[in-house]
Parts: sequence; C-alpha cells; structure tokens
Amino acid sequence: MQDNLTAALREPRSEDTLFLPDFCNIRIVFAVVMIAQLLAFILVLGPQGNLVDRWINLSLTSLFIQWVALSSIGILCLCRPVMKHWENNFAGIVSYLLVLVVTVALSEIAYVISKDSGLETLLTSTWHTEFVLRNLAISAIISAVALRYFYVQHQLKNNIEAESRARIQALQARIHPHFLFNSMNTIASLTRSQPALAEEVVEDLADLFRVSLTDSDKPVPITKELELSRHYLNIEKLRLGQRLTVQWRLDAIPDDATIPPLMIQPLLENAVYHGIEPLTENGVISITGHKVGNTIEFIITNPVPPHLPKSRRSSNHIAIENIRERLQIHYDKQGKLETTLAGNRFDVRLVIPYSRAE
Amino acid sequence: MMKILISDDEELARDRLRGLLEDVGNIDVVGEAHNGKETLTQCHRLNPDIVLLDIRMPGMDGLETAFHLAALEKPPAVIFTTAYGDHALEAFEANAVDYLLKPIRRQRLQQALEKTHHLNRAQLLALKQDNNENHIRTHICIQSYDSIKLIAVPDIIYFLADQKYVTVRHITGEVLIEEPLVTLEQEFAEKFTRIHRNSLISNYYIKGIEKIQDGTHRVILRNCDSRLTISRRHVAALRKKIREMGK
Repeated sequence: MQDNLTAALREPRSEDTLFLPDFCNIRIVFAVVMIAQLLAFILVLGPQGNLVDRWINLSLTSLFIQWVALSSIGILCLCRPVMKHWENNFAGIVSYLLVLVVTVALSEIAYVISKDSGLETLLTSTWHTEFVLRNLAISAIISAVALRYFYVQHQLKNNIEAESRARIQALQARIHPHFLFNSMNTIASLTRSQPALAEEVVEDLADLFRVSLTDSDKPVPITKELELSRHYLNIEKLRLGQRLTVQWRLDAIPDDATIPPLMIQPLLENAVYHGIEPLTENGVISITGHKVGNTIEFIITNPVPPHLPKSRRSSNHIAIENIRERLQIHYDKQGKLETTLAGNRFDVRLVIPYSRAE
Repeated sequence: MMKILISDDEELARDRLRGLLEDVGNIDVVGEAHNGKETLTQCHRLNPDIVLLDIRMPGMDGLETAFHLAALEKPPAVIFTTAYGDHALEAFEANAVDYLLKPIRRQRLQQALEKTHHLNRAQLLALKQDNNENHIRTHICIQSYDSIKLIAVPDIIYFLADQKYVTVRHITGEVLIEEPLVTLEQEFAEKFTRIHRNSLISNYYIKGIEKIQDGTHRVILRNCDSRLTISRRHVAALRKKIREMGK
C-alpha cells in the first residue's frame, strides 16, 4: 500500500510537467480577463485627455486588450496537449512568441477596422507602425511578467510536493512493518523460554521506535546512532541466530562527531533484509568506520544471495534514496552515499563531514 | 493424535509454535524443518498430517514447498504462517487457504488445526500467480517410492525430451521427470534456451557451437561431455545469444 502511495505522488510529475496552467480552465480565463481589464485601466489613466475621451478610450482599449488576451489564451489552450511533452524552457519561448504574433495580427486587424469605421481619431491617431509597435511592446512586457509568474508558481508547487514526498519516504524508511512483526514474534517466543531476554528485546525495540517516531532530523552524537544500530542488530541476531554474524571495525571514529539520526541503522536493516534473510547459508555483515581527513566514512558490506526474489529487489532503494535526500539537506555535496554490487557482495559507502557536537 | 511438522527458518519461531502446540494438546510434533528442502524430505520420511509452513524462507520459499508437497503421494495438509503478509494475504483469502499471522494466537491455531484442508494443485497455482513473486521454481522435485530428490535449477545443464519422459541432466547426474518440455521452456525462459524440438539448454552452461561434417551444428556445454544437436532454425538465434552473453 505504501508503494502505491509513493507511486501516486510521483505519477503527476512524470505525466505533465508543463509550468503553464490549463488555460481552458474557467478560473484561469476569469483571472486573465481581470488582469487584462486592469491593464486597460492603467493605460487609460495616462496623463493626457479629458473625461469624455477617457471613457471612450477605456472602452476601446478594453475591447482591444480583451480581444488579444482571450485569443492568446485560446490558442495556448489549444496548444497545450502538444506543448506538455516539451521542455519547460522551449514551451515558454513558444508561448511567448505565440502571444506576440497574436498581438501583431490583431493590431493589424484593429487598425484596418477602425480606419473603415471612422474611429481613427481615437484609437489610431498615430502612425500605423507606431500603433503596432506600441501594442507589441506592451504585450511583450506584460506576457513576460505573466509567464514568469506562472513559472514561479509552478516551482513553488513542485517544491511543496517534493517536500511531502520526502516526508512520506522518511516514514517509509523508518517503520519497517516486517521488522516490527518479526520482533513481536521473537518477543512472544522469548517470553516463554527466556523472560529476561524478552525484556531486553522490548527495551531495544522501544529505543528504536522512540528515535524513528520523532520528527527531528537534528544531528545526534555518533555514539548514539551506533548504539541504536547495535540494539537493532541484537534483535535481529536473536531472531536469525547463527545465520547472522556482525563484524564491527570502528576504532578510529572520534566520539564527538555527529550524524543525523537513522543514517546507519536503515542501511544495516537493508543489509539484513536483502543480504541475510534470503541467504540459505550463514552470512556476515561488516561495518567499518574511520576518519579520513575531515570526513568520516562508513562501509557496510553484506552478501548477496544468488537468486534474490523480485519483490525484495524492488523495495531495495527506498531507504537508500531517503538517506541520500537527507544527506543532501544536511551536508549538500559533502555528504555521499554510494553503493556497489560486486559479484556476491554489496557495499554501501557513507561519507559525512566530521562535525563536532556543540 | 495429529502428527505435525513445523517448518520455519527461525529457531525462536519454531520454539514458540512448539510451545503453542503443547498447550493445544493431543498433538505429536514429529519434526522441525529449517527450510523448504528439509520440509520436503522430512514430510517424505515422517508422513505428517499437517505442516505448519512459513512463507518466507531462504532458498525455496513456503509457496514453492507447498507446491512440491501437493505432488507427494500422501500430501499433508498445509497451514501457512507469516509475520507480515504484504499482498500475499489477499491471495490466501481468495483461495480459501488457511494462514496464520505471527505472532500466532493459540485460538487461531486451534481453529486452523480443526479445519485443516488439503490444498489442491489449482489452488496452489492460483496462489503462485497472485503472488507473482515466484512463478518460477527454484528446484525440480523428483520422488520415487522410497526417496525424494531435489535438484536446484542453477545446477541443471539441459532438459532432453524423449517420448514420454524428459531427462534432466544436472552437474552430478541425470533424472527423469514427467513434464512436457513446453511448460518447462515457458517457466524457465529467462535462463534456458530451446535449441531443438526435443532439447532445452541452460544459458549458463553454454560454451560454444561446433559444426560437424554432415553440416549439422552441435552445442558444446560446460561440465558435460555430451553434445546436443541444434536444429537448423535455432542456430542463428543461439549464435546471437552467445555473442550477447560474451559482452
């Protein structure tokens, strides 16, 4: 179900990424009419002319501007099905040119009509070319502003969507239902045979969930994250018995280093889920950590079973993607997460800058 | 007394089931199996009435195991167990197959034991399709009156059809099965290639192609001395495949 949810959130992006709104939509049409009318007011409010002239001027200007505006959005509305497959930049330029062409064409027509009907004195008291160029200039400025506005609006919407996607991904990466139910079963079993051990598992599980249910992504002391990872592996070791061996090599990690919570534990969870559980033989997960210059590097290695069921393969990258996204937020380009599949071994390399606790 | 076999890859899960079964009473736990293969051999040997079968196990999973079990002479009833069902649960419900969610409640276990049913092949096929996880067998199961044998698919070099039977040549020997080559070809299409009306070879063991005097082509295989004839219309396709694999 969670997979469907992410899919649904991702879908609209791949389908239609055009920044222009749907101009056939009645609300957009209304907005454009309003903007066009405001533009007409601004133009008429110029310094010269008497009151009567202004009224007539307003009506003619409004008529002309509405004509240009409605024709433009009409054409953009018709072109949208084609343009939605284009790059945003290209679609933007084409729309811009379309509006300008519409402006010039309608200016020509307006000029001819007004000349025939004797409105010349008001609308086209100026030269023909001057009239067309003036309209073109106004249209060029206004449509540039409008397109820019739509673009910014679109970016904003995208950012909000991306943020909520990241949130959902975070939740997904944190609460692994499989792990929860397996642990419950471990506890149920131990309660009978070794109650003291069962108690310990409950405590470890509580620690894990306490961290994963908090909203804070603020870096914590690295020792804390490693302790959490140990708690996690303790639970899995109880469940998997001999099948899981863990090798820790973490001598050279400075104690005062910090790391955002749940950067390492999900990688270990991946290693168990994809590397140990489907393996018919016993397997080793190794965690190596050291300080390299001003960075701290972790390498987590797990075996890869020869025939990995498809369902496991597909869910592989949620945790990795989630950690990558968070690394980007915390450390920009200084944080790195690389994975390599070499034969029957899977390596994950996590690099973070060495930042001390305050 | 009901004879029950517990099959689960986790020791603590097996322990808990054993404990629960003791509470239920009037039950004889005849054995425990750690994986699919063991489950099959134990069932063959111990003839349990019921198998409590974990779905997620490494190697051969519970579904495939159930499929092989159903082909046994006296198949046991199967109750599936799982910690977290994902999409599998819907498939089970749709096919009226009994499953228990871990941690298992004693009451539910008791209910399931009371109304155990045997799975038929159609149900199992439907289950496999719904679960799309493992359409493809990881093992071929061969049983005779006194033994049961499993051959891992990656160990199989070729299938060679003859009248009624198909010879399965694998790295340590040969066995006969009664399955049409066509269905084998469909099932293992990803890893095997048809080279003749009567033969299907594993891509992994292909070494090369040779042309003999009378103009026919034969395939050279690793770990195996026999050379199978390639029918004329398959030569080009096989050449292409070898080239692609070389890349």
